[in-house]
Amino acid sequence: MRRNAIYSILALAVLVLSLVPVGTAVFLLGFVSGDSPCVMCWEQRTGMVLVALTGLFVLRYGPRPKYLGMSVLLGAWGIFMGLRHTGMHAARDVGQGFSLEILGAHTYTWALFIFWVCTVTMGALLMLLKEGETPADPRTLRPLESLAFGVFLVVAAGNVVQAFASTGPPPYMGQSDPIRFSFNPKHWVWSLEEWSPAPVSLRGRWAIEKPGVAGLPADPAAGPLTSLPVLPIREQRTLALPLRGTVTDLGYEQATNRFLVTTQSGVYITDGSLGRVARYTVVDPGFAVDLGRFAGATFLERKVVMAVGENKSYVVLRENDEADAGKNFRFFLESSGTFDEVSRSRLGTVRARMMYTMSVAFDPETRSVYTVTVPNAKVKRLVISRFDRRDLTLSEEFMPALAAESGLRLNGDKRSLDEYYVTGATVDGGRLYAISAAFSTLLAIDLATHNVVEAYAILGLDRPVGLAIKGDDFYIVGEGGALAVVPRPADAAPGARK
Amino acid sequence: MEFLNFVLIFITAYLVFRKPEKERLAFRLLVLSVLLMVGLFSMATRTGLLPGVNY
Repeated sequence: MRRNAIYSILALAVLVLSLVPVGTAVFLLGFVSGDSPCVMCWEQRTGMVLVALTGLFVLRYGPRPKYLGMSVLLGAWGIFMGLRHTGMHAARDVGQGFSLEILGAHTYTWALFIFWVCTVTMGALLMLLKEGETPADPRTLRPLESLAFGVFLVVAAGNVVQAFASTGPPPYMGQSDPIRFSFNPKHWVWSLEEWSPAPVSLRGRWAIEKPGVAGLPADPAAGPLTSLPVLPIREQRTLALPLRGTVTDLGYEQATNRFLVTTQSGVYITDGSLGRVARYTVVDPGFAVDLGRFAGATFLERKVVMAVGENKSYVVLRENDEADAGKNFRFFLESSGTFDEVSRSRLGTVRARMMYTMSVAFDPETRSVYTVTVPNAKVKRLVISRFDRRDLTLSEEFMPALAAESGLRLNGDKRSLDEYYVTGATVDGGRLYAISAAFSTLLAIDLATHNVVEAYAILGLDRPVGLAIKGDDFYIVGEGGALAVVPRPADAAPGARK
Repeated sequence: MEFLNFVLIFITAYLVFRKPEKERLAFRLLVLSVLLMVGLFSMATRTGLLPGVNY
């Protein structure tokens, strides 16, 4: 391709970049519609202008390596800025976003696309260059190239005006939530909010620590509820099961008198005395949906169990003595011939979002799966989520309160049920029973009224992670395999609240 | 600060257009604008420097 043709393409690219995204933004959206960019939009707009400016450098001085390198750096940085900004709103619902739409897409999403186009265009132009294309002296501009300079200067001047009105002179800078643009100085708001001290983080609000029971306070007296009745431990022993890893949950199926035990990735069905493993498998947690570490498991319908990871991803397994071990190799790390994988997906939540869970329970009466959140350093809420068994989709979420008639009281105005760290749960008689590893407290939550109706202190538990009901007893298992059998109080016995 | 940056950009483009012999100064101003843009964006996103998606 002739050299002048390449310069013409470059001049046109500068014109398009200056006029379409940036010119539209400043003159049409800004001066006509009153739109003001937020601080991140300002920098993305600046990035586009700088890409165009490097194009002007090449038009004037030829394709010197430092200009080409700078344009590639700017394109890459612009894509990063577009990702960073779009990511803030990526998980919202359809049509939801920030500020104005252009052709059905919000402005910041266009930045990602535009920088990508810029980078592709620069790569294509680089490929068209030949050796020795760089002139020693500044080039004489042709009319189209001079037009590109002129348009660029007008667009830059427009941005100088808008930036002065919207952001002000230094040290003022752009705002997270900008005020509508106006030529009238009495509506100008210049802000220093971005200069305020703020913690520096790589992942920001997504940096949530993994849940765990280590280091949690065990003393019920230090918990948020005062003067709790104590449930005594009737029997205590250590599980002697051949498990891979530490215990993470416990479930029980009355119809078959079997327990369900989970470890980090293992699912074990035992006999009714928790003395022998009848069937087990170790799930490959990283295949397809990342299951993370199993937080809990529950029997669903006949021969079907569900294990839920602490990240609320789940796997549903069906017992099958004739399972094809070869076909199931992809799903399981061990014992591939004892279960079939039915499904593997994720439980979506709203109030429980950004929180891990360490428990799961199933209510056969309503055919609902329940999870309970554990608090973290950023989000501290006790949220119970219900999922319909039919589609395992969120059907209800609530944050339990204290029932007035329960007689339960908080230990001061600043205490909250959100301090509990529920690591095991089970449903019986319309109540969700939840054991909190923090403060060794058992909560009974009425699923109809969403209230905590009873609470008990259980002394002597060792890092409890699982809770099941067998007959008249609570079975509480600890991370290290310690099993505590606790008689249920009279009003919490089976059928008491039916 | 965005105002300052656009003033720098305007001056840079003017130098390249009308005073091409000032190439070195123009490029230095370009680098300064780029650094200012990167600095301002990083400052505005310092509470979560990486794109805010599900890690």
